[in-house]
Amino acid sequence: MAAPSSYDVVVVGGGVTGAGVARDLSLRGLSVLLLEKGDWGAGTSGASSWMIHGGPRYLEYDWDTTRLSCQDAGHIVSIARNLVYRVVFIIPVLPHDRNNIERMETAMEVYDRFQPLKHAHPHRRLTAEEAREAEPGLAPDVIGAVTMEEWGVDPHRLVFANVQDAMAHGARAMNHTRVTGLIRDAGKVIGVRYQGPDGAGSEARARAVVNATGPWSPELGAMAGVDIELRPAKGIHLVYPHRISNFSISAESIDGRDLLMVAHAGFTLLGTTDDDFYGDLGSVEVQEDEVDYLLQAFERVFPSIRRYRAVRTTAGVRPTLYKWRRYEDELSRRYEVIDHSTQGADGLITIAGGKLSMYRLMAEETADAVCRKLAHEAQSTTATRPLPGNESDPAPVAELAARCGIPAMAVVKLQGRHGSNAEKVLDEGATSRVLCRCEPVTEGELIYATRHEQVRTLADAFRRVGVTGGPCAGAACVMRAAEVVGRELGWSASQRFEAASEFVRGAWLGRAPVLGHSGWAQEELAQGSMRGLLMGNGTR
Amino acid sequence: MARADSLAKLAWAYGLHQARRRLRRPRSQLTALLETYAPDGIRTVDPALRERHPQLVGCINCGLCALAAGRIGKTRLPELASSYMRLYARLGDASSDLAGDDPDLMAAASACPVGVPLVEVAAVVRRMATR
Repeated sequence: MAAPSSYDVVVVGGGVTGAGVARDLSLRGLSVLLLEKGDWGAGTSGASSWMIHGGPRYLEYDWDTTRLSCQDAGHIVSIARNLVYRVVFIIPVLPHDRNNIERMETAMEVYDRFQPLKHAHPHRRLTAEEAREAEPGLAPDVIGAVTMEEWGVDPHRLVFANVQDAMAHGARAMNHTRVTGLIRDAGKVIGVRYQGPDGAGSEARARAVVNATGPWSPELGAMAGVDIELRPAKGIHLVYPHRISNFSISAESIDGRDLLMVAHAGFTLLGTTDDDFYGDLGSVEVQEDEVDYLLQAFERVFPSIRRYRAVRTTAGVRPTLYKWRRYEDELSRRYEVIDHSTQGADGLITIAGGKLSMYRLMAEETADAVCRKLAHEAQSTTATRPLPGNESDPAPVAELAARCGIPAMAVVKLQGRHGSNAEKVLDEGATSRVLCRCEPVTEGELIYATRHEQVRTLADAFRRVGVTGGPCAGAACVMRAAEVVGRELGWSASQRFEAASEFVRGAWLGRAPVLGHSGWAQEELAQGSMRGLLMGNGTR
Repeated sequence: MARADSLAKLAWAYGLHQARRRLRRPRSQLTALLETYAPDGIRTVDPALRERHPQLVGCINCGLCALAAGRIGKTRLPELASSYMRLYARLGDASSDLAGDDPDLMAAASACPVGVPLVEVAAVVRRMATR
């Protein structure tokens, strides 16, 4: 075991909250070690609806959550301009819906009061004819509709931008590094034991340890002998590799829940379920009846939905705060910063609950608690300090495309991920070849991500640059991606093949529940083109 | 307590809303909606396109059409159908990729194993890119 290193704070958990805490503390001048057992944003953050939203649903339960959420969304939108885009919902009202059009508009009128906090426009009310003119795919029996504006975001890049900025301010950040135990001294938590990607064990001493592990919080709490009670809730989404509509659409499920079909930059997310989860957090799988539950609801509002081909699913577990005798949907998305000193585990602080839209505020309050504990006087600056790539305006698309010899579309996507740093990324690797043509992603960007953004697996590459995320679901590019990443990381030919195989097997788990007729046709084609990556070991 | 408070405030807002609806004549808000979001590329889709849309976005990027015909402007045909035909709000920024002659799109479409109508796709993408 390596000699222990020493930090002011160890943050455990590399989702958006942990990354945000690490960034906040680093900017305040503290030395920070950030550890993530998988990849950055690979858990709950990545399986979200990819939205920075205020949550009008919470108006029924708790206006404070809506206000705080909108306020923080406004900050996030300002500091991460390249990562966000407007998402405009049409909320159609159908006969027998739980809320009639007047109640829906009332909710939107109230929500309009909070919209300026996140730089969004007020709602509009549409007649049935106007709603169908805006989106002809709506069901013929729509009575009317209201609109609502939110922000879309790439949570993987948002998490990594926070990690990147934390590192730029002195933090050390390691993915694929699992905490195996806490170091205690007379009850006090004084550090962590961890195992790096190579399997080697290490120790890090710290004056405080932050537990930002989301649904895994009780697991880390147990290492310190403290009880952290959550009510984990599973949520799934269907992923369509294109925009089905320019508008996002809401629908009411058979049990009266609000579901969303969200139009993102070049794809659509349809979800989400919200069910108590008691299973293994390491293997959250999508069931076919969950897929049917979502499609059934949208078929009522958008009848052609089953004619579209979903390419995969996502599944995650929300770390909702514990509450007995409530339906999952009614649970608050509030958060809690817990100092465990009263439970005999001084030095350990947990951030539990909350949601993506409030991650910055959650991180700030957690960092405040840490600073109080360490008697460190410094204010948070994360509300106004831009994330990497937002310090200046990006170069004009056409100019950059011509200079680097790549399609303008590749520049558009690249700037969406890297903002004003896009040019620097393109200069890496000295190649303008397009590697993933669906997205599109250049080989240079993947080289950059492997060298500078901690890509260690092909799944990491998907999260960092979107490779394999398009309509072919990796059939056309996974082997080439394995070649590029393998070359950078020194993989042998068989390691490259094994990496591609492992990725395809993992992707298959998310794809199987949504394969319809054309999906199976594609799968057969992919099998052929990938020369039996799944064969030989009986996986399929 | 928060729940009771929230419901009471919503009930009050509902009363105000109903009173306003009685006093004010409703006006169409569709034009204002579309004008607000046009800069973000959030536009309507015409009914004919909506009907055909599931076929138009059916490309699985197998690459067979590229063997039958070459490029549209600087863009290979599989990318036209898989990458550009995704209702990108910022397609206008990439219009230079499409500048140039059309290849034999009929031949390309007949090579497609999932029946993507490439002639229509090319027309739709060009239209979206120039709006």
